Amino acid sequence: MSGLAWFSKSQRPRINLTTPFGLRSPDLPRHALRLDGSAKETLEQGRNRLVIAGVVFAFCFVILAGRLIGLAISGIGTGDDTIAETSDTPPVVAGTGVRAEIRDRNGVILATTLNTASLFAVPKKVIDPKELAAKLTTVLGDLSEATILSKLASARNFIWLKRNLTPIQQYKINALGIPGLYFRQEEKRFYPMGSLVSHLVGFTDIDNNGIAGIEKSFDAQLSGSDDVAPRDVTLSVDVRIQHALRDELARHMSMFSAIGAAGMVLDVKTGEILGMVSLPDFDPNRPGDFSPDSKFNRVTLGVYEMGSTFKTFTAAMALDDGTVSLNGGYDATKPIHVAGFRIHDDHPKKRWLSVPEIYMYSSNIGAAKMADDVGPKMHRAFLAKLGMLDKPGLEIPEVGAPILPPRWNSLETMTISFGHGLSVSPLQLSAGIAAIVDGGIYINPTVIRRDKDSVLVEHRVISTKTSDTMRRLMRLVVEKGTGGKAEAAGYLVGGKTGTAEKAEGGRYKRNALIASFVSAFPMNKPRYVVLALLDEPKGTPETHGFRSAGWTAAPIVSRLVERIAPILGVEPVDEDSDAIKRAMFVPINSREKKLATF
Amino acid sequence: MKLNLTALSVVLIAGVSYGLYQLSYEVQQLEKDLARLDQGIVDNKENIRILKAEWTYQNRPDVLQAMASKYLPLLLIAPYQVASLDALPSVSAPEPTENVPLPRLNPRRHYAPPVDIPKGGIRLATFASRGTPQ
Repeated sequence: MSGLAWFSKSQRPRINLTTPFGLRSPDLPRHALRLDGSAKETLEQGRNRLVIAGVVFAFCFVILAGRLIGLAISGIGTGDDTIAETSDTPPVVAGTGVRAEIRDRNGVILATTLNTASLFAVPKKVIDPKELAAKLTTVLGDLSEATILSKLASARNFIWLKRNLTPIQQYKINALGIPGLYFRQEEKRFYPMGSLVSHLVGFTDIDNNGIAGIEKSFDAQLSGSDDVAPRDVTLSVDVRIQHALRDELARHMSMFSAIGAAGMVLDVKTGEILGMVSLPDFDPNRPGDFSPDSKFNRVTLGVYEMGSTFKTFTAAMALDDGTVSLNGGYDATKPIHVAGFRIHDDHPKKRWLSVPEIYMYSSNIGAAKMADDVGPKMHRAFLAKLGMLDKPGLEIPEVGAPILPPRWNSLETMTISFGHGLSVSPLQLSAGIAAIVDGGIYINPTVIRRDKDSVLVEHRVISTKTSDTMRRLMRLVVEKGTGGKAEAAGYLVGGKTGTAEKAEGGRYKRNALIASFVSAFPMNKPRYVVLALLDEPKGTPETHGFRSAGWTAAPIVSRLVERIAPILGVEPVDEDSDAIKRAMFVPINSREKKLATF
Repeated sequence: MKLNLTALSVVLIAGVSYGLYQLSYEVQQLEKDLARLDQGIVDNKENIRILKAEWTYQNRPDVLQAMASKYLPLLLIAPYQVASLDALPSVSAPEPTENVPLPRLNPRRHYAPPVDIPKGGIRLATFASRGTPQ
């Protein structure tokens, strides 16, 4: 437009003026725009440029408007940012990173994670440390003023005063209104059942890392990772059975002043462990307050010379191998002297004993001769098949390996035949007995619930026929032999007592016994193996001073079976009925001289 | 015409932008709601977790046993107390008893009031000396 500047006022090109909105006023003179030459060119050029710019802008605005309309109508973008319809992740992943729960077979919570407040102090912001300490000890009784003051005296910016407060404590501390104290939300592992399943579930450290039991072995699954959500663990134990087991064991343990006890209930069909108790135990909510002894799992980690319960394996082996028949027997008149050892009977009958008699009267001499006939090689192979010689595979880290004799010859075979010289855990013993009574098939025990259709890893140990004979023999022990006190009316308990002297420093201690009773019920169709073990029981006036398994451990099984059988849905049977008598019949074939009846 | 077009486009643009902003605010509000609901779900789940733990804690078997032994007159189940449904004897329906009508009371006579009989006793239709049905 600068081209217009040099025109004089009169020569300037005149523009036809119009009123706004195109209404032409009639009284205004009509003027025409007269332009030519370079001025016209310049003006034309300017107008063209203006038009081009206008078109470009209009184009842009049209696009914008179009997009605006499109957005306003459809409400979505071009489709790049639409969410895939089939999304694997659930819409709300609540509590990701929260350690998952451990449950029993019926879904009862055994371990869960709760959010708790933890108290920390920022020493720089504390105005009066002495006042703080004095006030705080009124709420937190277990912290002393001196401890708090020494903590506050440090140069750090952040000091834990107490972690995992209860809501009431948090409220009271808030109510104190002390500056410089703060809370932080933390996850705390909580075990509602307390010490009931302590050894099995285990516990975590303060940062929620599993350091014992299931908490440790399933740490990865319970805590999850960035890609994998935490998953619950369902155990095979049943808290009702676990409680009955713990209750009975604890009662008898104090009754016989034992230093420890162990017990186990095992499902013979699936290998699931329904109850597993080791006493003394601890509260996993505060594991620091308990001694290492109470954290020792006697069922899985402890290995003991089990004593006469091993005669079950000896008899099963000999009968299955055919070295002796049920009618056969051995002379138990005199003790055996072998390699400087003397094998004698606790209740010597001093006569020839048939196999059922050897088993029911628990004759060491008979068992030793029986095993010696089979031979050390076979004996070892047989026990290996029963899982007695390897560390059992269980889903908790606290599993003890058996202690084998340094060599395995005739002498070792003789002593192991009645349960001395080979130390196994109660877990191994129960699993072995389960195999003997359940048709001779060994199933690896587990603490994780097995679903009905899960595939079992199993192998045959003895024939079904031998298993049937062994069931009758075990029933005989309770009916007529050493385990009479294990009788539970109607539930056909059968079992074997085992009393072993504890070996310590290479010698047997005369005054320290391991009394155990391993049993199964109902004997006509075994479903459950029950084991009870007392560590160093003492005799009482009620037991006439006896402390052997028949007096101390057997009553536990009797009480326990009566308590748990209704829970497990085992129907009681009439023991005097012909069908049961026939099923449990075993020819004793005794050569005992009976007094003539005139 | 030009004027109409301009006016129309202005109105259209105003309307469309109003709609768009409305939508945008709505989306923001919904997102806030969603976040709030998510947080609510997380909080509720946490509360449920606490309540479940509390429930389990209160239902510990040893507590239940102590309470049962204190308040319930129950003993250990004896074998004879356990039976399956099949083992129960079948009970047939009681046979319908035929009612014998009592004689109508004589409206002109005074009767002694009926005597209370012990619980479970049977009132027999007998006639007393004065002909009173007892």
